[in-house]
Amino acid sequence: MLVLTRRANQSIMIGHDIVVTVLEVRGDQVRLGIKAPRSVDVHREEVFASLQQANQAAAKSPKELANAPLPEVPAPADR
Amino acid sequence: MIDTDLTPDTELVEIHFAAGLPGFPNARTYALAPWGSDDSPFMMMSAVDDVDVGFVVVTPWVFYPDYEFELDASTAERLGVIDPEDVVVVCVVTLADRAEDATVNLLGPIVINRATREACQAVLPSSGYEVRAPLARAA
Repeated sequence: MLVLTRRANQSIMIGHDIVVTVLEVRGDQVRLGIKAPRSVDVHREEVFASLQQANQAAAKSPKELANAPLPEVPAPADR
Repeated sequence: MIDTDLTPDTELVEIHFAAGLPGFPNARTYALAPWGSDDSPFMMMSAVDDVDVGFVVVTPWVFYPDYEFELDASTAERLGVIDPEDVVVVCVVTLADRAEDATVNLLGPIVINRATREACQAVLPSSGYEVRAPLARAA
C-alpha cells in the first residue's frame, strides 16, 4: 500500500483523471473531495460492499429467475 | 415527482451503465423487458453480453408508494439529467424459493436517463432505506 502525507487543500492524482483532495481534517474525521470520470463509481467502502453483496444475491440467469415465484403485487387501490 | 413509466411503446430497451454495477464491473449493457403477467410491474434486466447475468427489477412505488429520494448532483450530472422527468427508476429484486421472502433493494435504486439510456446504480446512504426491504406486505 502506498502511504502519502497530505494537508488540507492538497490533492493526490490517481492515474491521470482522478483527483482526491483533502478538504478538511477535524479530529479523527477527514472530509475528501473526489473528481473522477463518469466510468468510475465512487462509494464509501462499506456501502459498496453491501451493494455488491445485494447484487450478487439478486443476479441469476434469466432462465433460473423464470423458475422463482414472483411476489404478489398489491392491488392498485392499496397503492 | 418522478415519472415511473418506462417508454411504454418500447418492449425492449437497452440501457448502458458506464461504471457497471457493484459486483458486476464488466457487464455494461443490459436489456430491459417486461417480466411476468401482462400488467406486471416487474421487468427483466439482462446483461447483453453475459447470458448468466440477469436481474428482476421493479418500479418501487408499486410496493412502496412513499419511496422518495433526492438524486445527488454528481449522479444527475453523470447521467446528464436536468429534469426529473428525464429519469426512470427501478429497484433490484432478490427472489427466493418462497414468493413472500422476496426483497427489494431500496438503498441502491437504478436510475436511468430516459433520453440517452445511460444508467447507474445510485446509492442513498443517509436515507435509512434498506438493501433488503421485504416485498410481501405483512398481513
